[in-house]
Amino acid sequence: MKKLLVISLIVLLNGCSSVTGPKMTMTWPDTPPDLKTACPDLAQVDPNTTKLSDALGVITSNYSQYYLCKDKVDNWLDWYNTQQKIYNSVK
Amino acid sequence: MFNWLLEQALGFLPVWIWPATAGAGTVVYFFSHILATFPNFKPYTAFIKPVAFITILVGVFMYGGAGVTEILQAQIKEQEAKIAVAQQASSDANTAVQTKIVTHTKVIHDTQVVYQEKIKEVEKKIDADCKVDPEAITILNGAAKNPLGATK
Repeated sequence: MKKLLVISLIVLLNGCSSVTGPKMTMTWPDTPPDLKTACPDLAQVDPNTTKLSDALGVITSNYSQYYLCKDKVDNWLDWYNTQQKIYNSVK
Repeated sequence: MFNWLLEQALGFLPVWIWPATAGAGTVVYFFSHILATFPNFKPYTAFIKPVAFITILVGVFMYGGAGVTEILQAQIKEQEAKIAVAQQASSDANTAVQTKIVTHTKVIHDTQVVYQEKIKEVEKKIDADCKVDPEAITILNGAAKNPLGATK
């Protein structure tokens, strides 16, 4: 009888324990706008030119284009990994 | 809708009211036993006893519910605080990335400008010494073309 009383008291004291708190997570942040743009294609040298300086100009410009694009990809990875770590910390 | 109304109504009641209800139910329940010894009141106790017992049950149940609600609210507050910290960290990370991109882009552009200037300085000399065969330009442009097609 005592056991039954204790069990019913425990059940009663649970009250509305079937109600769970709302699942709250943070919203995934927006990607920085600079990381949203695609990398452009490499520039082409004017096919009618015979000047080495023209070709050199386009080649160096393409090198800088590559570094800009590399930086974008590196930053994107860095941004994603950082945000994922933050997001997982409140899951 | 009914749940919401019930929650609102219960939310206004102080928590102490539930143990008080259970306590009052207990007192009435035992008092009804004493009343039962008096023959005049005995018939009433048949009604008072179950009502008192149900009052005890309701009181204990609601007190338990209030306790659980309190725990859940504390958990919600804790989670809200955690989310606020995370949102701030996330926003800071976004700002840091933006700043880094701006700085890096400037460095890369500045370096590019330096090399373009260097080319201009020696332009006449290298163009006089060397003429590029159009075949070389065709090869260079072919290699620079995206093999996967144009980027969208």
